Order: sequence, then structure tokens, then C-alpha cells
Amino acid sequence: MVGKAPRRTGDPATTPDAAPRAPRRRWRERAAAWRDQHLYSFFSSLGRLAARPFASALTVLVLGLALALPLLFWLAFDNARHWSGGLREARDITVFLDPAADAPAAQALAAELRGRADVAAVLVRTPEQGLAEFRQLAGFGAALDAMADNPLPSVLVVTPAASAAGYDPPLVGELRGDARIDLVQYDATWGRKLTGILEFGERLVTVLAALLAAATVLVIGNTVRMDIQTRREEVSVMQLIGASDGFVRRPFLYAGLWYGLLGALLALAVVGLLEFALAAPLERLLGAWTDAQAARGLGAGAALGVLAAGATLGWLGAYLVVARHLAAGRPGA
Amino acid sequence: MLRFDNVSKRYQTGLDVIAAVSFEVAAGEMVFVTGHSGAGKSTLLKLVGLLERPTRGRVHVEGRDLARVRGRAVAHLRRRIGMVFQDHRLLLDRSVFDNVALPLLITGTPHAQIGKRVRAALDKVGLLARERAAPQTLSTGEQQRVGIARAIVGKPPLIIADEPTGNLDPQLSLEIMNLFADFGEVGTTVLIASHDLFLLKRMHKRVLVLDHGRLIDDFRPGAP
Repeated sequence: MVGKAPRRTGDPATTPDAAPRAPRRRWRERAAAWRDQHLYSFFSSLGRLAARPFASALTVLVLGLALALPLLFWLAFDNARHWSGGLREARDITVFLDPAADAPAAQALAAELRGRADVAAVLVRTPEQGLAEFRQLAGFGAALDAMADNPLPSVLVVTPAASAAGYDPPLVGELRGDARIDLVQYDATWGRKLTGILEFGERLVTVLAALLAAATVLVIGNTVRMDIQTRREEVSVMQLIGASDGFVRRPFLYAGLWYGLLGALLALAVVGLLEFALAAPLERLLGAWTDAQAARGLGAGAALGVLAAGATLGWLGAYLVVARHLAAGRPGA
Repeated sequence: MLRFDNVSKRYQTGLDVIAAVSFEVAAGEMVFVTGHSGAGKSTLLKLVGLLERPTRGRVHVEGRDLARVRGRAVAHLRRRIGMVFQDHRLLLDRSVFDNVALPLLITGTPHAQIGKRVRAALDKVGLLARERAAPQTLSTGEQQRVGIARAIVGKPPLIIADEPTGNLDPQLSLEIMNLFADFGEVGTTVLIASHDLFLLKRMHKRVLVLDHGRLIDDFRPGAP
């Protein structure tokens, strides 16, 4: 999760006093030394961050906000996609028959449509059912009583077969051309627009995330570069007494990792805080619109992913800068 | 142990800082390099530690041609050379102990051994009691001795020192030089650049004299 560990640096076989030992013992010793060096770098780099709390906090704040932004966008679009799911799948075709058609005629047409391959189901709603529905809606009762007879037509709710569903199935065109049918209602256009908006939103989130990931790498790279500047003497002394590139690089890589990890943690905190602050009003808003449940938050898996991504970006940013510095500062080699 | 074959070093200014220098140093030998300032003493030491590469000629350390030591091998070569600097170059944000332990950390020495060997090195330079001190709290002579402890803690076969007594009074200088002479006694090769002729005469060790990059003398004062 924390990116690839750098190559082992010390090679005890070449140290002056590495006496010949049993191979297993030597391997164990080397593994222990490797682990010690990493543990040392891991914690000492954190200590260095803590030694300059203001500068470190500033960097972490910038990173946290930079990482929180694409996360928030992603959450917003994830929720929008979820809520709109029901709408996009509303592919039923509502067919209003000619008011002159009576019940048997409606049943006959329904039976005819059921026989088609591209029709999954047909529901017949008689004018009486429609009237009863209207009566339940407040205010319509008196108006309906004033009418002499039922003005509502028979309605067929046609569900196209899954294979025939699309933005504009030929079924809709044929229904429109049928003389027995007064009006065909098919809400594909709106669904299509919504899909377009969501696809654009997803692309926007991806592009933003890529830009801000690059910004994260640069911010961490720049911070580590300044780190190297202030520790230039230390780096040069280490190189003089035989430190390998990996040894010199390691504390800076861990510093980058810490910056990235802390930035990601802060981003998660920002997202969590916003989720908490928006949850109640959002639920009221949604409750008025759809039967959707509470807003979808960031899952544990996604949160771990964000931490891993932050740490990896930090490691990468540090690596790029240190590699350049080592190449430039290597004396006479 | 150390061999220079017709070595020249020319910097971008076009001047030969080292010109056609050849000499050989046997294992366990202690050799001084002297000359006026700008004679090429520091450059000569830098060629040994691969801080610079020669323009012409070959430098051999422990029989290895340094021209073939490249990349990762440079760090490994430097682990076999203890370097002492005029300004000691200690890391001021770490204790004396941590400074001396640095070469052992770099080679991945097991923890248990690090403590023992650091204390042995500090004991040799007479600073065992100051292991927890910060370098700034030490006197110049003590700081230089910490630098020497750092150079010897890895038991390198070769020690090079560039003006190690440059900032010290004559009494301290002699103490430091005697310290180096002790390492020579136990088989370590020591190469020291110094312009302090008075001191060199008292040491009775081999002296290489550089003048404008040329080796003009190779003698042993007080030798029978």
C-alpha cells in the first residue's frame, strides 16, 4: 500500500569485517539490517515533520484540500448517478387509446401487442381505474362529479423487451402510426439528456482528479526539494562516507509518503465533515423527491484507496525530486 | 595499497592542478602530502576518494583501477576509505554517538554491534564520556576527534585527511597527528594533506611535496 520499497542499500558482504558465515545467518542479518534501516527512516522522517510543525501543517493542508476536491466531486456524481438510476430505467411506453375505443377493443389491442417479440408486458388501465386514481388526488373529486360521463381514455402501459429498449425503439414509431391510438408518451429524451450530463460529469471528475494528482506530486516534490536544500550538508556528508543513493533517498521518500498520507487523511476528514454537515438537509430534499435512502458516503474500501493513493503520490513526488538531486549532486562519479 | 600512475587533473580553467604525478603507498604506511596552498594537495586526496576523476593517468586503490569504479561501486569504495575533513563536517543536529554511528548505519551493521564499535572508536580518540553531547558543545579539537572517530569506526584500510589540524593549536595538532600515527601502527594506511612543515618534521614520516601540481620531492625527515 505504501509503494515499492527502495532497493536494499547496505551490502554487508563488501564491508571490511564481513567474515564468512553460514548463508542463512547472513541472510537473516541482512534482512534485519534492512528492516532496521526502514523502521529508522519511517519514524525519523515523521519526527522531522513534527520538528517543523507550521511548515508541515501548511503542506498537509494544501494537499488535503487538493485531494478532497476530486473526492467531493466524485461523491456528488456518484450520488447523482445513483438517484437518477430509477429515472433512466423508466422505459415504459404509455399509450393513450382513442377515447371512442371501448374495453374489449383495448383488450384486443393489448393482446395483439403482447404477441410481439419486442414487448415484454402490457398493462391495461381502464377509464374507470383512471377515474378512481384521479378521485384520490385531492381537489379533483368535485370536478369529476360535475362531469356527466368519464372523459378518460383507456391506457396501455407497454414495457418493451429488454433487447428492444433503447433511446428510440421502432416499437414507439409503430405505435404512433396506429389509428386506434391517440397519443404515445415515451420519456427517452429526458433520460438521454441525463445520461449525457452524468457522463460529462464523470469525465470532468476524472480530468480534475488527474490534474490535482499532478498538483499533489508537485507540491510534495517541492516540499521535499526544500527539505533537501536545508539538509544539503547532511546529504553531501552521507555521500562522502559511502552512503548509497538508496540510503540518502530513503528518509526523503518516507517524508513524501508521510505528506501524502497525512494529506489524504485530511482530505477524508474534510469529506466526512461535509457529509455530516449536509446529511440532514440532503435527506429532507431527497425525501421530497424520491424514495431514495440516505446519501451514499465514501465506503471503507474507497477511503483506504484514497490513503494508498495519497501515500503513493507522495512517494512518487519525493522520488522524482531526490533522483534529480542525487544525479546533479553526485561528485565526480 | 595506493598507486598514482602519471596522474593529471585539469579543471575548466585550463590549469593543471595535478600534473603527471606518480607515487606508490604501501599498506600500513603513513604519508604526508604537503606544499603551498593551491599546490594540489586537496585535489590529490579528492582523486583517491573519487570526489574527482583524473583528466589523465590512473589511480589504483587496493589494486583496483578507480576509472572502472562507477555508479553504485563509488559508494562501496568510499566505505573502505575513512575521510577526515579540515572543518570536520559533523552533522550538528545529532549527538556525538549518532555522528560516529553513521558509517555503520550506512553499511547495515546490526544494532548490537553498532553500540560496541562506536564506543570503541570514541574511546580511541578519548571522547567516550561525551557520546551524548551535541557537537556544538565540544571544543574544536574535540570536534575534530569526533570526525576521526567517524572515519575509523568502519575499520577502513585507508584513511585520508585533508588539513585535519588546520584549525588547531600546535599542541592539539601534535596530539591529533599522533592519533593518526597509532592507526598506522595497526596496519591502516594513512594519507594526510598538511602545510604544517614544522609538524611534519616532528612526525618522522614519509612526505610528498607538491608544487604547482608537480611532485617535486618524496622524503622522510629524520629517517636514518
